[in-house]
Amino acid sequence: MTHTLQNSAVTHPADPRQALKWLAFGALALLLVLVPEGLSAYWLRVATTAAIYTLAAASLSLLYARLGLVSLAQVALVGVGGWVSLRVAHSGHWPFELSLLAGGIVAGLAGMLVGLPALRLRGLYLALITLMAAAGFNVLITAVQFPNGGEGLRGFNPAGGTLMVRPWLGQSDIGMFRYCVIVAGMGFLLIEWHRRSRPGRAWALIRKGEACAMAAGINVSLYKSWAFCLAGFLAGIAGALLAASLGTLDARSFPASESIMLAALSIVGGAYSFLGAIITGVLYRVFPAFLDNLGMAGDLSYVIFGIALLHTLIIAPQGIAGQLLTQWQHWRARR
Amino acid sequence: MNSYLIFLLAGLAIGSIYALSGVGLVMLYRATGVLNLAYGAIGAAAALISWQLDQWGGFTPLCWLAGIAVAGLISLGYGLLISPRLEHREPVIKAMATLGVLLILLGLLYSLWPANPRRLNLPSDAIAFNMMGVRLTLTRLLAFITTLLLTAAITLFLARTRIGLLMRALASHRQLSAIVGIRVIRIEVLAWSISGVMAGISGILLGALVRLDAGALTFLVIPALAAAIIGGLQSLALTLAAGLLIGVVESLCTLLPTLSSYRSATPFILAVLAIFWLQRNNRLLFASHQ
Repeated sequence: MTHTLQNSAVTHPADPRQALKWLAFGALALLLVLVPEGLSAYWLRVATTAAIYTLAAASLSLLYARLGLVSLAQVALVGVGGWVSLRVAHSGHWPFELSLLAGGIVAGLAGMLVGLPALRLRGLYLALITLMAAAGFNVLITAVQFPNGGEGLRGFNPAGGTLMVRPWLGQSDIGMFRYCVIVAGMGFLLIEWHRRSRPGRAWALIRKGEACAMAAGINVSLYKSWAFCLAGFLAGIAGALLAASLGTLDARSFPASESIMLAALSIVGGAYSFLGAIITGVLYRVFPAFLDNLGMAGDLSYVIFGIALLHTLIIAPQGIAGQLLTQWQHWRARR
Repeated sequence: MNSYLIFLLAGLAIGSIYALSGVGLVMLYRATGVLNLAYGAIGAAAALISWQLDQWGGFTPLCWLAGIAVAGLISLGYGLLISPRLEHREPVIKAMATLGVLLILLGLLYSLWPANPRRLNLPSDAIAFNMMGVRLTLTRLLAFITTLLLTAAITLFLARTRIGLLMRALASHRQLSAIVGIRVIRIEVLAWSISGVMAGISGILLGALVRLDAGALTFLVIPALAAAIIGGLQSLALTLAAGLLIGVVESLCTLLPTLSSYRSATPFILAVLAIFWLQRNNRLLFASHQ
């Protein structure tokens, strides 16, 4: 766990022990440099995708924890970001960061568009409409495919194509891992900045009740759309990182079931802290690989995740991260 | 003309299953306030268990009955054990919890029956009619008739029987129903069982009509949900019509070369349009309802 410390520090901004925070940042930097050297190529790839999906999980948590909304389309938005960044990257020799931003922005707009019909409906309908969007995306991407440097608008060459160019800092696998962790960290900071400023306060009021927020003069539609947009943006960034680290994307890896799985896991991991997003990323990518390594069927992870989801919803609504943080606070209080 | 008729009939058959599943979903949602996203997975379990028993040489109709019974039991178990613990949560959380069941069932089904091409052959597949020059298997006819009969039966059940009345009472106000002495959990468990049995029937019919694969059957809950959304999660008749419409449009799109690769998106597009229509005069105020 390379970046746990940084984010538990970010989660508790009121923590008076500034020194601890800096220590955490120092430890993070050290871990970032040292840890990947010890991993095999396989586990390094697993760790990279886990770091990337941490960002998608954080975007889900943003909607769930701030507004009480469940999105079942986040992996589809990762796919949108991936498609756009691949398309941009194959169309010219731009720096990678440009395709990254393009992927994020288009996915952000897509996320806003998906949330639009549900602006005046309660949570259940948003969950349903995002599920419809996820299933629709699967149909669309299976027909269109991801660009791989081919001709035309689709940029898809059925005979096989070229790989996406990686960022300058991420030419090696280790570099790519560090790059992903750093971008994910920046994504977390972006969410944290939103949470502490005007949008965060607006979201808190909307969560209490749309009528309260309207009475306080908050433009409910604007700030809700903003949250959808930010969540989509982060998912899109994750998609661009995924496209770069793998070189290309496969249309078959974006079915609706993946979005459902990630949404379920973001609740299991804990939606109320960044630690939860990290746990989600690890559960989503590292845990099945771990089971696979032990020689157990990967399908078993579905069963375990399902049980964990029921357990979390019934007994521990704060998720694994919430339980860990509570333990940590007990431990500190006793000292 | 002939090809239109072929696809129309195929669409009506698939559409009736969407409609049947949609009706089961709406019935359960009205009675319990839970949108069961694991509906397809329960149907998949029924279909695969029937197939397995049939492979072992069981008496075929008994095999289906066993599959349907297992589906009813899974659903009943959820209604008895898990659903009451989430009684006071928002509808989204209740729906999310059924995703947990979906994941558990999907994992079990995948590990018990790895993805292999297999077919569920109903005896009715072999019997066919000739309708205006088009071959129509009994299974398709059966799907259509079952849906019409079951929808009519459920509608009558809700409108005319005492238990139906109690279910409608729960749908309109749960706390008040509890206060006037309705056994809420008992009625809910009954609703869960009925909807589980319906899921089992849809699963077996779909397994025969489309293909017998745990993942495919599980996620056929999505078009059924689309039908339920068009029915406003409320009206059984609208859900029935929507399910048939989705099936027919999806099937007829096969004939248009430009649209055919996107045809499976039909239910989602229709559902999104329906949501736009439903929210047209809506204003969000306090979070106490829905």
